[in-house]
Amino acid sequence: MEWTFIERGFTAALIIGLIAPLVGAVLAVRRSSIISESLSHVTLTGISAGVLLSQTVNMVSINPLYTGFVFALAGSLIIEKLRQTYSHFQELASPIILSAGVGVSAVLMSISPSGYGEWYDYLFGSIVSVTKEDLIFISVTAGVILLIFSLYSKEIKSVSFDQEFARVSGISTSHINFIFSLLVALVISMSMKVVGVLLVGALISLPVASAMQFAKSFKQLLGWSVLFGEFAVLIGVYTSYHFNIATGGMIVVILAVIMLAAVVLRKNSMLYRLLNR
Amino acid sequence: MLEVMWKYDFLQYAFFVGIVIGFLAPVLGVFIVVRRQAMIADALSHITLTGIAFHLYLAQSATFLQTVHPLYMGMGFAVAGSIIMERLRNVYSAYKELAVPIILSIGIGLGVVFLSLADGFNNDLFQYLFGSIIAVSQGDVWLISVVALVVVLLLFFFYKELFFMSFDEEQAKISSIPVRSVNLLFSVMAALVIASSMRILGILLVSSLSILPVAAAMQVAKSFKQTFLYAVLFGEISVIAGLITAFYLDVAPGGMIAIFALILLLLVLSGKKYDKIRRLR
Repeated sequence: MEWTFIERGFTAALIIGLIAPLVGAVLAVRRSSIISESLSHVTLTGISAGVLLSQTVNMVSINPLYTGFVFALAGSLIIEKLRQTYSHFQELASPIILSAGVGVSAVLMSISPSGYGEWYDYLFGSIVSVTKEDLIFISVTAGVILLIFSLYSKEIKSVSFDQEFARVSGISTSHINFIFSLLVALVISMSMKVVGVLLVGALISLPVASAMQFAKSFKQLLGWSVLFGEFAVLIGVYTSYHFNIATGGMIVVILAVIMLAAVVLRKNSMLYRLLNR
Repeated sequence: MLEVMWKYDFLQYAFFVGIVIGFLAPVLGVFIVVRRQAMIADALSHITLTGIAFHLYLAQSATFLQTVHPLYMGMGFAVAGSIIMERLRNVYSAYKELAVPIILSIGIGLGVVFLSLADGFNNDLFQYLFGSIIAVSQGDVWLISVVALVVVLLLFFFYKELFFMSFDEEQAKISSIPVRSVNLLFSVMAALVIASSMRILGILLVSSLSILPVAAAMQVAKSFKQTFLYAVLFGEISVIAGLITAFYLDVAPGGMIAIFALILLLLVLSGKKYDKIRRLR
């Protein structure tokens, strides 16, 4: 069965619309949404290194998605390390990694003989460029993420809400924290082709931010986030294809509209309740 | 090097602008880091991209805008973004840290859409993202001089308030410092500096010059004043070394500056570790 590029793109987008908000919801509850931004920028370094490597060394032909994943994972480990170095300013770790990642990739991109146009697909996403291998990579990582999620759901939940308590009840927090970094690195490298490195963070943090306005439990938070994520991805892909606008950008605009609506609705319902009291 | 400098005007402009932001960015960076808002610089720079892209889009139909510097629109967006960010902190009062990633991702997303509409997906975009030496014009020199003057004057007059608030906002509030307006003032200052330094550093790398030198300075400085001195020193070294190498190797200056700042940070960190081991023996 041979799929057309639009079918591949839509399938990839649907998978990402499910996974990214799911992981995003857990990240937001753990108060570490910002980690997705820094890791995505490190992924960019990995991608540019991968592309440059396959350009300069003839023998090597690696999918830059893999190098991106490796770099994201390394980045998450370094962030943990930096948190210990700057124990009084732990929030410094993210921007340090972020600027380091972008700085190196900017230089790598300038060195690379290929034109700038090729990089824009990685930076801002394009569903047209999703190949068969990319789709396989995306489905496999999605499977792995869901598997980890279901295996460790209890531990993840307890570590997210109360690290101290989790430690006391015998859960190895550093172990779970590592699994978390792994999850985030996986999500970022899988969603890169569709939404782009610079916009992955939006698909991770915006659906949750909107869901928080309605959700009354953690399960509801997951449900609403995925719903908003899928909705935005579908509309975004459709409009970006029709108006020829970068896919990632269009998805983010839809997500932003959803969030604005959610905040306004919530505010008004509070007003409504106040008036009818 | 000097001969080339005299030959090309744009190199003189680039070095002038570079040296000014090599001073401004780390100085504001110290406040940003101490106030635990390290990610704010990134959010503001991403929203600056939205402004620039919006300007490029508008300039297609409104020709009179083509003569105006796109950075003004960028600055306007950055200032507006910092105000919206304050609002969002109130909306998500239980999850205040969400405001930064929200603004950051919406900023770049909208920016990309405007750029797509303006057919701006060309080499110019690359310059906006990662900086460029050649793009620095005389207009940029004027702009950065005015911004530098304003920011230095503001810092001079409000240093005490900022210093106080950075360390203890509650106490500052009680001592009848207008916390909200000083906060706003600080955000505006940060927005101005970030917007004006993006010509050389690029949107994605603006924060590197206000975070990395400060992170390195914190490791060696023994007082708040020393942190400023070291941060500016590290900032200037990375800017000058970065600009020279970027010019000769023909790579993005923002990237080179960030790499030099990173190397300085790594040197400081490993030097400190070595010191610790030596003392233990």
